[in-house]
Amino acid sequence: MRVPPGVSAGDFAAAIAAFERIVGKDWVFTSDDDLNLYRDAYSPYLNEPEERIASAAVAPTTTEEVQEIVRVANRYKIPIYPISTGRNLGYGGAAPAYSGSVVVDLKRMNRILEVNERHAYALVEPGVSYFDLYNYIQEHKLKVWIDCPDPGWGSPVGNSIDRGGGYTNANFRNHFDSHCGMEVVLPDGELLRTGMGAIPNSQTWQAYKTGCGPWVDGIFSQSNYGVVTKMGFWLMPQPEAYMRCTVRAPRFSDLGPLVDTLSYLENSRITTGFPDLSSPLLSYPPIGQIQLWNENGPPKLSDEHIKLLADVKQGYSAELEAYGVKEGIPYWELWLSFYGPMEVIEASWRATQRHYGKIDGVQFRVVDKLNLPIDPSTAEKYHEPELGVPSLRIFSIGARTPWNPTPSHGHMWFSPIIPRTAEAIIEANRVFSEAARDLGMPLFKTFTLPACFWERSFVFILATPVTEDPATNKRYREGFKKLIEVGGKHGWGEYRTAPAFQKTVMDQYSYNNHALQRFHETLKDAIDPNGIMSPGRYAIWPKSLRGVQS
Amino acid sequence: MMRMRRTLGGPAAAAAIMSLIVAPAFAQRPAGHYAAGRAVYRKWCAPCHDPGITHPGTHALMTKYKGVKSGVLLEWTDLPASTVKYMVRHGILLMPPFRKTEITDQELDALARFLSRNTPGGR
Repeated sequence: MRVPPGVSAGDFAAAIAAFERIVGKDWVFTSDDDLNLYRDAYSPYLNEPEERIASAAVAPTTTEEVQEIVRVANRYKIPIYPISTGRNLGYGGAAPAYSGSVVVDLKRMNRILEVNERHAYALVEPGVSYFDLYNYIQEHKLKVWIDCPDPGWGSPVGNSIDRGGGYTNANFRNHFDSHCGMEVVLPDGELLRTGMGAIPNSQTWQAYKTGCGPWVDGIFSQSNYGVVTKMGFWLMPQPEAYMRCTVRAPRFSDLGPLVDTLSYLENSRITTGFPDLSSPLLSYPPIGQIQLWNENGPPKLSDEHIKLLADVKQGYSAELEAYGVKEGIPYWELWLSFYGPMEVIEASWRATQRHYGKIDGVQFRVVDKLNLPIDPSTAEKYHEPELGVPSLRIFSIGARTPWNPTPSHGHMWFSPIIPRTAEAIIEANRVFSEAARDLGMPLFKTFTLPACFWERSFVFILATPVTEDPATNKRYREGFKKLIEVGGKHGWGEYRTAPAFQKTVMDQYSYNNHALQRFHETLKDAIDPNGIMSPGRYAIWPKSLRGVQS
Repeated sequence: MMRMRRTLGGPAAAAAIMSLIVAPAFAQRPAGHYAAGRAVYRKWCAPCHDPGITHPGTHALMTKYKGVKSGVLLEWTDLPASTVKYMVRHGILLMPPFRKTEITDQELDALARFLSRNTPGGR
């Protein structure tokens, strides 16, 4: 039997026996075969000694069982690591941040406690997946939409507290922002409800976020201060219609007005769906089309076009631009989505076109115009999450296809937040492509465009592959850390990362001698004096391990 | 879908012939024999392995077998239950393993029975 570091075999055996009394023997796992299921399938340390491995896993079904597990962990000083659906692939999966922790697998806590159509919210447990919630809504014919990330088997709770994003309207795409109310088991086993949930028999737990006094929900995201056992989410009332349109701009220099106008339109709530930047001329797809490109192959380019692409520097080439103008291939194409009554959508689209009219040579097209709901069986014609439909189709990234004969074993997402300007896009391309080239990381083709999940910033996402070869993985993860540091020097930081990189990322948030990180540690010591809860998650270590672990 | 049919014509036809060969064994099973396994398949496998290139597992297998064999697991006639169980618990390439809190051993038995139903001696 594996034993957590610093714990005696006797104490661990006693803890396991206690866990078995709480959840039953069938739901405590200690064999190597069973624990291998908790490895991170996309670990950058795949099959290396540093790969993070659990010493046991325990799977409760109720909040009360979670409380008892936490109390046992305190009694025997056992590090525990709660996971929700364990599908945070690319960001750590089901594996603990600290090797030897006992994973508390919340997948069996899978109750959808309420979906309220009248007030458009849901209250769910952590083991509920986006698929589960979507299917429940469909089966009960409720007129509300979920906002899901690309892979739909993740957990609304888990994704939100790792601060993931989705694809519908702006006020739902930021999954943490769209939550309302939490129930949390604290590291001492105490039970807490946040916001209005702190009032017994509250009528508005999922209707008003902050309650009274400090709003503490944020400290339970990307942290290790408790186990979230219930969480409320605001849902979008099923819109009447959907329209997807594009704005095409012919010249490289149009990127500035394209981005600045987008920010104005979004901040004014004129366009609210997921904006998606692409470059037909650079053959760079919008995120919503990546799966189609993987399935059908990228668009065919002429020989002349391919030749011109080879000479592009930092996304620009005067010859390529002239070729695009001559052939009618736009440098940039911004995809916009609109939800709502058709007359409102059409008015928003008219206003959008008026604002973009200042770009010389701009072109507009309507790609899809749908009355909703659509027949779910036709959803695959679209990027499903933009219609509130969960899918696993995004796993075409890195998978074997006729266009990718060498499939990867996984990927780690390098994803710094950068300013929402054309200048920042160009600067990030220059800085990271030069760094990646020096580090021998094949992350850039011609140019990278950022994702627009959030309204006030960009996420500059680069997929770094995980391979079967430890030497390659070592080079990539060392390179990944260097890229984080390079970003930090430019004032850019990751929005989220896997445990392997959490320390490096948090090291960039160093204002005033790491005051933020020191505050996290002050909280940790106060809330979790025994240091049992997810040691090391987001580089927050308990006192006993601080400076020892990285 | 037109694209799918063209690509899969050969192996799909071969699978149809194989299913005729194994049909008597299939017919002897009581109605609902595979219901539990089919339900596990629908929940956990179908999003990646249902027919069509919009399912990345199917597309990967189509690419791998280049028409020699179908990319659709449901059509395979050489898929032993033991292979199903191994893949679910070990994963391969981008497909991660599945935990017992997701697919229990009992559910995995049912899934393996279902997916190996057209495989002679597949148990």
